Amino acid sequence: MILKLKKGDIIVIIVAVCLFVFSVSLCFLLKKSGKQVRVYENNKLIFEGSLFSDTEIKLSHNLVAIKNGKVYMKKSDCKNQICVKTGMIENSRECIVCLPNKVIIEVE
Amino acid sequence: MFAEQGDNRSRIKSICIYSVLTVCCIVFGYIETLIPTALIAPGIKLGLANSVALMLIIFGDIKGAVLVNTARILLSAVLFGSLFSLLFSLCAGTASVAVCILVAKSKSVSAVGISIAGAVTHNTVQTAIAFFVLNKGVLFYLPILIISAIISGFVIAVISILVSKKLKSILSF
Repeated sequence: MILKLKKGDIIVIIVAVCLFVFSVSLCFLLKKSGKQVRVYENNKLIFEGSLFSDTEIKLSHNLVAIKNGKVYMKKSDCKNQICVKTGMIENSRECIVCLPNKVIIEVE
Repeated sequence: MFAEQGDNRSRIKSICIYSVLTVCCIVFGYIETLIPTALIAPGIKLGLANSVALMLIIFGDIKGAVLVNTARILLSAVLFGSLFSLLFSLCAGTASVAVCILVAKSKSVSAVGISIAGAVTHNTVQTAIAFFVLNKGVLFYLPILIISAIISGFVIAVISILVSKKLKSILSF
């Protein structure tokens, strides 16, 4: 056996794991949910509104829905359906992209 | 006379060894890019170059570890990086070697502990700099970086223990 863990090693690992737990909890504390929704099509801002007023936005190829403080791509006629599969987003800096139809939904 | 000659010899030997080790570090930096660790999470790398500094610390050559590490950072910044990347790696590299040396002073820590302490320090310092210089969003990346530092620190420790056994006769000053 080449590896002999000493007492100090265990302490170092425990401290590192504590740091990990601390950073995870820091992330949860600082996590802000977003407020504004912006929808872009062909790089043009089509819609800007609150995340908390339920609406549906009809685009030329897509249907975006805002419901219960979450936004998602309800329908899309694109081939890969990645945007629809992305699911619901609610946190700041998250986004849904539909590349074939050049649609970007972002939360801020 | 003889003693002087011997001194000169050992000086030349240490200059040679340090330069070879520094070049090793830079080559390791390239080899690292061939290992697709970025697939797990972007920005993560193994840190093979640290195994050299770690090995020197295992041998008790603290001056050599600081020298080789600083030379590696400066050279790879001149060759591949920018002034901005130099700031990042110099701060993080120096901090991690300092922590390694401090941890190594304790007799009850083996290479595994030294390596993990250095790796975690490196990633934490780098995230801290990015937090103040770039944006606050990088903070959410810290947990991934810490957990990867623990794993890669362990791997690097195993590698350097294995290699240091082979190099013991060459690297003894």
